[in-house]
Amino acid sequence: MGRIVFAGAMSHVLDPDYYQEVCGLSGRRKVEACMTEIRAMGERLLARRPDALVVIADDHLNAFSFNAVPALCVRIGRHVDRMVQEEAEAFDRALEGLPERYAVHEDLANRILEDGMTAGFDLALSWEAPVDHAFLSPVMTLHGMQPVIPLVPIWVNCFVAPQPTPARCFAFGRHLARVVAGGPWDVGIIATGGLSHFPELSLPRVGESDTIFDRKLLHWLEKGEHEPLQALTVGELDKAGEHEFLNWMALIGAVTPAPADVRYFGELGRINLAAVEWRLA
Amino acid sequence: MSRYAVNSLLYRLKKDRAFRERFLAEPASALAGLDLTEAERTAFLARDMKQINALGGYLHLVMSVPGLAAHVSHPERD
Repeated sequence: MGRIVFAGAMSHVLDPDYYQEVCGLSGRRKVEACMTEIRAMGERLLARRPDALVVIADDHLNAFSFNAVPALCVRIGRHVDRMVQEEAEAFDRALEGLPERYAVHEDLANRILEDGMTAGFDLALSWEAPVDHAFLSPVMTLHGMQPVIPLVPIWVNCFVAPQPTPARCFAFGRHLARVVAGGPWDVGIIATGGLSHFPELSLPRVGESDTIFDRKLLHWLEKGEHEPLQALTVGELDKAGEHEFLNWMALIGAVTPAPADVRYFGELGRINLAAVEWRLA
Repeated sequence: MSRYAVNSLLYRLKKDRAFRERFLAEPASALAGLDLTEAERTAFLARDMKQINALGGYLHLVMSVPGLAAHVSHPERD
């Protein structure tokens, strides 16, 4: 019987140069402190020797253009490439210098997809979609110089309305837990993004992170109180700049009712940085 | 206002280098024939990313089109 042996969630632009540019030295120091905690989480992840690492993250209109935007998409196939952006600006620069190709855990990805279809989740699939900073910045920070665990990238549509609901993402996480329990693999799972930033995806509101909302979410995570999280609406998340918490909701569904430890929380007007790790039985 | 027209244009500007260079050199010509409202066309010709965002352009695109991105910084007190 398979097990989830590690679960963590974290911010996903882990680039000190970027934060120094947009937030000054304080931004650099805070993201470096956050990265230190994520590296320590990575040591615990790797020590448990998982067969696969499920990465739940969002696309920033890179992998999927406007021909199709899947609500939930599982990356299948044997390899996944990193997104390439010529003359990268801003958060896209976090990808520079990272390896170009990563192994996919094909069997686990296929199980999640195929069992999902029979369990009532009409999942999208992709053989070709590349992954952007939302996947690779945390993955590479967790791994450091160690070989990267075979990945199962899963996209949640966090930005293009209409998004899946928090409750639906949580239910999908329950599906992930059932697949892992029914398989032979030890699995790590991470969700990325957040915490609060870019409320209403409005340029004039860049710089207005919602610390009160973040502290409410973290309190519920620490206590393992997952019912109020499932009652959140996409509209509430949009208003508070918590779009990427949908990724976290899928992870929470996979590990509920486990409580979490907040390894790092750092306030920046631009974005509140966070790293959280769940206490698994 | 067409959310699709604005965003597919932003996406093309981000991902298609040749089109981006054509837009930078001859913006009116590059936009000719595209299904944009006058307000949208005016915003693109002015490279006004704030207005493009207000007209429905997704934030992550308006912040990441090479050479045209909206740069917003918020230096914090150290």
